This record gives sequence, C-alpha cells and structure tokens, in this order.
Amino acid sequence: MTKRLRQILKESQHADAMWGHQGHHGLIESTCLAMLALYRQSGHEQSPAVRALRDHQNPDGSWPAFSGDEPDGCWVTALAVIALLSAGSEVSSLSRAIRWLVGARGREANWFWRWRFQAADKSVRFDPAKYGWSWVPGTTSWVIPTAFSVIALSQARRLGINRTAVVTERIELGVSMLLDRMCPSGGWNAGNGMALGVQYSAYIDATAIALLALAGHETAPGVRDSLAWLVHRLPGCPSPYSLAWGILALSVYRNISTEASNALACATNELTALIDRGVGMDDECTLAVCALALDAVEGDNAFEVRS
Amino acid sequence: MISVDRRRAFISSAGLVVGGMATAKLLPEEMLLRDRRPARSQVAILSADAYSEGLADSFTRVLSMFGLSLRHKSVLLKPNLVEYIAGVEVNTNPLLVSAAAEAFRKLGARSVVVAEGPGHQRDTYLVLAESGLDAQLRGHKLTFVDLNRDELIKVTTRANYTGLDHLWLPRTVLESDFVVSMPKIKTHHWAGVTLSMKNMFGIVPGTKYGWPKNVLHWKGIHRSILDICATAPIQFVIADGVIAMEGNGPLHGTHRHLGKIVLANDPVAADFVCAQLMGLNPNLVWHLDRASHFLGNGSPGRIDLITEQLPHQIVPFNVLPEFAHLRLRPKTLR
Repeated sequence: MTKRLRQILKESQHADAMWGHQGHHGLIESTCLAMLALYRQSGHEQSPAVRALRDHQNPDGSWPAFSGDEPDGCWVTALAVIALLSAGSEVSSLSRAIRWLVGARGREANWFWRWRFQAADKSVRFDPAKYGWSWVPGTTSWVIPTAFSVIALSQARRLGINRTAVVTERIELGVSMLLDRMCPSGGWNAGNGMALGVQYSAYIDATAIALLALAGHETAPGVRDSLAWLVHRLPGCPSPYSLAWGILALSVYRNISTEASNALACATNELTALIDRGVGMDDECTLAVCALALDAVEGDNAFEVRS
Repeated sequence: MISVDRRRAFISSAGLVVGGMATAKLLPEEMLLRDRRPARSQVAILSADAYSEGLADSFTRVLSMFGLSLRHKSVLLKPNLVEYIAGVEVNTNPLLVSAAAEAFRKLGARSVVVAEGPGHQRDTYLVLAESGLDAQLRGHKLTFVDLNRDELIKVTTRANYTGLDHLWLPRTVLESDFVVSMPKIKTHHWAGVTLSMKNMFGIVPGTKYGWPKNVLHWKGIHRSILDICATAPIQFVIADGVIAMEGNGPLHGTHRHLGKIVLANDPVAADFVCAQLMGLNPNLVWHLDRASHFLGNGSPGRIDLITEQLPHQIVPFNVLPEFAHLRLRPKTLR
C-alpha cells in the first residue's frame, strides 16, 4: 500500500520538482512531507526535490510558505529542516535554517506583550513566559509550529548538526510552552487550552504532533492524559489525514503504553480501509502523511526525536 | 529673485503635500475610499422553523425576487465551517448549503462550488465529514475547494484599515463571478457578532497567514474584516438563522432558535438586518458601522425588506458582558 501511495506522490510532483495541493502551485509544506515520504534515506542529497527545496530557502535561512511568496520566512522552516535532515542535505543550508529557528519566537516573548498578557489581558489562560514558535513572524506562539520546531531542533541536535546550549534552551522552552497550552482534559487545541473561562477541546492533528515533539517527556504532567485522549478519539475518525498523524504519535508511545499499542493496530486497520476507499485522499499532504504513518507502524518514524 | 520664488513655490507646494497627507491621515478611512454603496439594497427575511431539503424551492422563489442575472456565471458559496462540536450548531447547516446550490443551479448558474478555509482546524476534510457537509456535497455532486490551500494571487487591498497594502487571496474566490457569503448568525467573543462580513475571514488562506489567521487578529479583527470585504466583494448573502447562537459565540455559545434565514444583495444591509434580528444595535458594531459609510447600506431608509418585516418583539441575544451595550431595548427595534 505504501508503494502505491509513493507512486501517486511521484506522479504528482511538478516539473519544478515541488509538490502543491491538488496540483496547484508549489507549497513548501507539501514538498517537505512528500520528500519525507519518498527520500528518507541518504543518497538523495542531489535529488531535484532536495535542490528545489534548497533553492527556495531565503537568505536569512528560513523558508517562505510557497513558490512566489515573499521572503519573510514562516513555520514551514521547521518542516524543511526535518526533510533536509532526513535526506542528508549539506550542513550549511541546515545551519542557516537552525539559526533562524533559534531566533524565531512568538510575539509574547517580547517583554511588553508578556507584561500585557500577565497583567492586563487575562481572557486567555496561558503563561507568556513559556513561548514557542508562530505560524508567521510577528504573531503569538501556536501548538503545531512549536511542535514541529521542537522536533526539527531535537533531530538536528541528535544528528550532531547543532548541539549548542542555545538550541537545547529553545527545545526546553518549546516543550514548556506545549505543556503549558495543553487542554485541561488532555490533548491540544490550536493554541491555548482555555479562554474566557471555557475549556477548549483538543484536535487530533495538533495533539498527535505535540505528542511526537514530547516523546521522552512521558512523565511530564498531562502527557499521558493527552495520549489517553488520542487513544479514545481516534476510533471512527473519518479523515485519513488526522488518523495518520494519530498513528505517527501512537507508534512512538507503543512501547510504554499498552493502550497506545492496541490503539495503533486498530487505527492502522482503519487507515488502510480509508486509503482503499480513497476517502479524503485527494491531496498531496494527506498522501504523504499516510505513507509516513504506515512506515511508522513498521518502526521507521520520520518525526522520532529520541535516539 | 527667480530662484528665491522657485524655492518659495517649492516650499509652499511641499507644505501643501505634507499638510494634505497629514489631514488625510486624520480623516476616517472610509472618507478616502470610493463610495460603493448601491442606491438601495434588498433584504429578504425568510421564516423557517427547521432545516429541510424543501428550502431549495423557497430559495428559488425568493432569489427570483432579486432579479439576479446568473446565467453563465460561476457561483461560489462560502459557508461558515469552523469545526465540529457534537451537539452544537456551530457551522452553517449543510442542508442550507445544498439548498442554496440547487437554487442557484435552477436560476441558470454555469457552476456552483462550495469553498471555505476553516480558521483553526487544519484538517478541513475532518470538519467536512463530521459536520455532515461532505455527505451533502456528494449527494448534490458539488465540488468543494479548501481555501486554506488554494492557489494564491497577490491582490492590492482596496481599503487600508489594517495597513496591509496587499493580501494573498485564493484564485477560486477571485475568479468567481458571484460570491455568496453564507454565515451562521452568531455572537462573537471578539467582534460582537459574526455575520456575512466576518464570515469572509474564511477566504484568507492558512497557507500564507496560519491557523488561525493570526496576522489579521493582530491587525484588528474589525479592521481586517473591512479590508477583506473591500478587496474581495460579496455579491449576495444567505445567512443561517434557523438555529443561531447567543452568548459566548462563535463556538461555545448556546443555541437560539431564531427561525429566520436572511437573503440580501448587499452584505452590509444583510448584517444590519441580522443584527437587528438578534436584538443588537448594528451601529455599535465597529466594522458594520464603518462599512455602512462606503461598502453597503446600513440606513433603514436605503434598505427594502422585500418579504417579511422585522418582528415587533425580539428578545435580544445574550452576549458577553463586554458587549452588553450592543443590546437594543425592545421598543427601539423598529
């Protein structure tokens, strides 16, 4: 089945070696996920996709969101780092990207906004001293960009690309942000877990990606609750995209949780059934994440942060 | 002497330019914009106790009263699809969307697509499937476009409330002949209300602006709504108020059975009427008030209610304490 998914992905690659959404212009997110699904071994350093991705890198080390976008840099920089690390890309491109990631921070990192969120604007419950990464510069931290950035920096540190103290500090700060923004009943919404006195409910993809970033922090408060939330939420999920992210997370925790291990088997069966029926499978990101999920079941997880 | 005169003339001209620019900065933004208000706007209030397939016939009948010329036109329906919360009417009801699509097809539209870019939920298909909209789309052979990931075009903004001189917007929206905003009538914890204009936040692509479109929050929600609606005009509105939401909307409020659907050929007029049906004062909602100076009609004297009139008695919607000032006293409703 993964062969079939990879074949479709290869056929949907654009002439410029990028991937988009349903055939549209090249998106960095789609390209990174497709690269992870197709070229996650060394020996692809010079593949057209790797070259295309490197060609899109901004002078400051970041990546724009899509071909033709302004060179502001955004959250996909973390995904690009993960993809290039997997493909065994040259170090200079990665070093610049990591430098940009280390310097990027949510707006609440600024003393004025931190003061304002702590003293004046208390409608949303969170600790602004624990900041992560935003979708785009100049805005606050959100769960998915932070989780991907933690994964990217953790993998870069593990592979010896950058083991400086500043990288370790940013990883720890990102982890503390994720733990702080958890929903009261487990899992993660897009940003905060509570606002205006209301508990937000978690999303599958945000929870799964956050759990991937938090592998190794199983004893931290709420991580097991979040895993339990995911285990109970996945059955019957009609979307292959969310189901696939759920599988990627469960596969990382299967050795420490029987529930996760059992849920992984059920979720994998559900995903293969959805893929067979072609339900919700009409975009490149979903195809790639499904292929990555099935690889993870076999023990090869592209988002693994542990040694 | 000549050179001195030239210098004086230059200084005077420069002074005029600088003075003019300073004055322009002090003027309300809408005074600098082209007045796009139609001479009159038509709004139809349609009573509906429940959602049903039969709404397609009602829509066809009411839409024909607007004298729309839809033959050979591409129609884009933009419902409010936020996320799925079991048991809570958060989104524009799927039956309303399919009924509108059928009505526009009957009126001769060349094509009808449904398009949306949810604000927080990245898995658009999950929301489609769990909300029931996917089943309606399949049943009526309707194409759905995920506006969060559509091809993007850089467009110069046609208002400048946010300071953004351009927006990246989806090609599908910009190339549609007839954009129909289909909001769910709800209160909103930051904007006061979310109606047809606020609903256009959903055309702003997550690919460029994130999930949520946090750049626009920082620029100000009201200001962003005005820039978006000035740049990507709404041609028609079908607002879902059969079951509306009051209190802590747009996600965590409570149901309010309003039993009304509002159709209009002017989004500002539509939102003014919707707000009044909610028992709220539209003039006190900043983006509605500003929009009524250049984008559409808010004045009752320029709005024709072509079907039902506003009810005599409305119990104002519950709102969060910071929006208590929006609530109209019953006697001021009409």
